[in-house]
Amino acid sequence: MSATTEVSGARRGSWTRLFDLRSGDTLTKVIVILITVATLIYILLPVFWMLKSSFQANVDIRALPPKWLPENPTLQPYENAGRLIPLWRYVWNSLFVSVTASVIATFLACSAAYVLGRFRFPGATLILALILLTNLIPAITRTFPIYFFIQDLGLLNSYAGLILSYVGFSLPFAVLLLRGYFESSAPPELEEAALVDGCNHFTAFLRVILPVSLPGIAAVAIFTFLNAWNDFLWASLLLNQGDMKTIQVGIGDFAQEGGGVQYVNAFMAACVVATIPALIVFLFVQRWLVGGLTAGSVKT
Amino acid sequence: MVRDKLIFCYLMVAPAMLFTIALGIYPMLYSMWMSFVEYDLLRIQQYGTPFVGFDNYVEVFSDPRFVQTVSNTVIFTILAVSATLGLSLLLSQVLNANFRGRVALRMAVCVPWFVPPAVASAIWMWLLNTERSPINYLLRDWGVIDSNIRFLTDSTAYGPFSIPMLAIVAVRVWNGMPFAVIFILAALQSIPRTLYEAAEVDGATIMQKFWHVTLPSLKPVLLILLTLLIIGGLGSFEINYIMTGGGPNNMTNIMAVYSYQQAFSFFRFDLASAASGVILILTGFVCVFYIRAQFKGTQQ
Repeated sequence: MSATTEVSGARRGSWTRLFDLRSGDTLTKVIVILITVATLIYILLPVFWMLKSSFQANVDIRALPPKWLPENPTLQPYENAGRLIPLWRYVWNSLFVSVTASVIATFLACSAAYVLGRFRFPGATLILALILLTNLIPAITRTFPIYFFIQDLGLLNSYAGLILSYVGFSLPFAVLLLRGYFESSAPPELEEAALVDGCNHFTAFLRVILPVSLPGIAAVAIFTFLNAWNDFLWASLLLNQGDMKTIQVGIGDFAQEGGGVQYVNAFMAACVVATIPALIVFLFVQRWLVGGLTAGSVKT
Repeated sequence: MVRDKLIFCYLMVAPAMLFTIALGIYPMLYSMWMSFVEYDLLRIQQYGTPFVGFDNYVEVFSDPRFVQTVSNTVIFTILAVSATLGLSLLLSQVLNANFRGRVALRMAVCVPWFVPPAVASAIWMWLLNTERSPINYLLRDWGVIDSNIRFLTDSTAYGPFSIPMLAIVAVRVWNGMPFAVIFILAALQSIPRTLYEAAEVDGATIMQKFWHVTLPSLKPVLLILLTLLIIGGLGSFEINYIMTGGGPNNMTNIMAVYSYQQAFSFFRFDLASAASGVILILTGFVCVFYIRAQFKGTQQ
């Protein structure tokens, strides 16, 4: 479609070519543009609605006809959200759990992905198949045993229980992604050179392979962070009491405790707070996230 | 030397393997076992967990609610997967074209990816609230409808479809589309330009280039994406659970939610495991295709 038009023209970056009548593709282009605009509205409307509501008074959110822009923008909802629920404590909980899980998972995934990608050893194929399987089968099929397992370890309603689970859930995907990435970013010659220079396999991995693979590793770290940050199912099962709740569970509970009705603006402010960290991370790493993701998942 | 290398390999892969087994393979097998015994938390003290063969499966399949849930899941998956694939194919083509503001547009498209499902559900619940929905307001204002659409509560069934089902699918597509767009976009960038140039020499239109160059080149990536989306759809949980809890009249209930409710509302972990066993079997079929596609990919 319009993507393919770019190769035809010598000039880059012009909208005019989209309406080039000579090509006889005008109808296709118009339809594509219309659908794209409609889809963009569909994509951005809810986010915009959340943002504007978090700066509005409750009456204005409920007003019909809808008020699309806050007339007297106020930060009051954010203050209220902090008073009604321990919002910042929840954010801290989520950050702590997600960052810890992400660091552990990324480290373990790096070492496993490296040997699985580089060496042939007995059992490697089986291990890879098990990892692939675990990555694919939906979480709900193992929810109950994991719940009992964490309970037996005495880790229900503790950070450790949730962190352990997140490490377990993120590892398969992280290993698969990094395996592909190491193959493309760190050629075997690199570590052969290191071995000649007196490194052993582990120090070669640590000093040569890891440094040249940093973008891929960062992508994996961000993915595991986001998985943990966005998760609702496991957090609601394994850590759902008191001040240790994660922000997602906090929001779920807040919705039932009046967030959906009388404190809408405070609730929307809490939603914004729950979304912002992930968005900020994304804006920073946007570029390599795309490359890192596809290097691993398409090629594995 | 060779022995050292083996020990190194196993040491590196061991921690990741331990996590994968403890939180992936073992719970999956345990869950299978639970589906063949009686595991009723209210009776377990007295009666233990006697083996009951296929009784749990017979019991869930004789529950009309579960049968409806299975068909809901299939419909939900088909709708969500086809909408996601269609829209993301189109959007990725647009994003692959050269025009001013492409990077901004790409970021905008990615935004819902970073909205946690719990937050996404909460915002959409507001946007789809019968009385307060700005969408209803606009539609009425434009004269499209006479009375408010009850997006999440209308219990009229149109065959296997219903308005709440379509609404939930829309939220699912909203949340899941960015991943698909980026996945396809990365593949688009690796299609050699010479293919398009050759097509242009032959005077191909945009649609012809799309059908005869883009689609065939994307086929392997689309197959992988398709299986990932199907698996995700069959096991999806959060949005349905938070937005409707399966209602009204079980119309938006899907297997993962049914399974969760059997376990944590009725304490029937055996029936819950049987329901998740059905998910496991269905996704297992899809996985076989995926793994074969992946291994084919590495051999080429």
